[in-house]
Amino acid sequence: MEWFAQKWQVVESLAPFLLHGLWMTFQVSMIAIILGSLLGAILGVMKTLDSRALRLCIDAYMHFFRGTPYLVQLYLIYFVLPSLGIAWLQFDSYTAAIVSLTLYTASYVTAIVASAIDAVPRGQEEAARACGMTKAQRLYHIIVPQALRLTVPPMASVYVIVIKSTAVLSVIGLSELTRQGETSILRMPQDTMFIYALIAGLYFLYCYPVLRFARWAERRVGSSAAAQENA
Amino acid sequence: MNWLNGIYNFRIVSDYFETFLNGIFNTVWITLVCLGLSVFFGIFLALMRMSSISVMWRTAAAYIQFVRATPLLIQIYLVYYGLPGLIGNFFDETQTGIIALTLHTTPYMAEIIRAGIISVPKTQTEGAQAVGMSSAQAMYHIILPQAIAKLISPLLGQAVVLLKDTSLLSIIAVFELMGAGLIMFSETVSATESYVTTAICYLLIYLMMLVASGFIQRKLGGTATYAT
Repeated sequence: MEWFAQKWQVVESLAPFLLHGLWMTFQVSMIAIILGSLLGAILGVMKTLDSRALRLCIDAYMHFFRGTPYLVQLYLIYFVLPSLGIAWLQFDSYTAAIVSLTLYTASYVTAIVASAIDAVPRGQEEAARACGMTKAQRLYHIIVPQALRLTVPPMASVYVIVIKSTAVLSVIGLSELTRQGETSILRMPQDTMFIYALIAGLYFLYCYPVLRFARWAERRVGSSAAAQENA
Repeated sequence: MNWLNGIYNFRIVSDYFETFLNGIFNTVWITLVCLGLSVFFGIFLALMRMSSISVMWRTAAAYIQFVRATPLLIQIYLVYYGLPGLIGNFFDETQTGIIALTLHTTPYMAEIIRAGIISVPKTQTEGAQAVGMSSAQAMYHIILPQAIAKLISPLLGQAVVLLKDTSLLSIIAVFELMGAGLIMFSETVSATESYVTTAICYLLIYLMMLVASGFIQRKLGGTATYAT
């Protein structure tokens, strides 16, 4: 009982602190998910257009962001860009977090959108062309609505990855959940394990529903879209 | 070349050539060890997850869900601060890091392996039973070989994720590629040279893995494509 009372006291005194961190995590991840999805959708559609140069550029971007750890990308954007001496690239930690996380999200979303568009049967595109639709009309009326369905399950898994990646932002001092936890531990070093477990619990509360949604969506859409994503 | 020196001074980088080489070496071997361990334990976790005994699959499912829904960084901290309390200061940082990464990667491997096992048609199991194999024998001789052939490409994808995840070990003072970059930054205070070099090294490893995985897929994936 005494153990519980002591731990409850820790929870009570840290609650406002950690909840502020959770709010920050939520805010940053949501902004990155929204901006990253928009950018990724645009790049994904562009990747399927018949331009070799465009496809090469987008491929290079994707390989760079999928081939280096997020931690390295964060350091590049937070430490290297400001040293170039261009005024508007002098990010503070909040902007750097959002810019890096958006680019990271978009690199995954691009791949998902491009492969979903490829998965729409060719006959659809040909039939639309036979009806005299322009490329833009075909994309807008025929291809994208069908592809959109396929993107939902893998997209939800990517969102979980993005939410979990926000923990890395603690290294540049953004006061999100992990950082708030580390600061609390400086105050109460005897409860290190308990505080980390508490943070893990909060992340779990945030991520688990998204994971469940991903699985539900996968079952509804069929696992074909998700299987492609792994390749 | 002077304009390049202003942005990216390769003379400083050449001083740290050996540091980065050691970093690459450590990153690669840590990745390989974790990959081996997590595939090995992943097979058991997948079997546990598919077990019909409620305690077994519930424990496995809870573990898998916990790992998938919490950030790796937190898991590393939990292992790093929790392990000494449980068994004393038995492991150094690198070993602790390997344990944390293996604990993190095993559930992902287990899910991939489970998907592979499920994809093997049920008639294969029935056929094995018909020739008098026990369920363990059927698993070992019939199901797993077919499942593994189908798993290669998602497994290699996870291996790339694992390679990138090793960078987080630098936070608990494991010396690997990211650690090499951090050492160079703390000694020279030139962010561009340190971090761009780190990124280039990661990209080189990644590209080599892409080439290797294409090769492995062509070599090993052959029988699986015939089976379906």
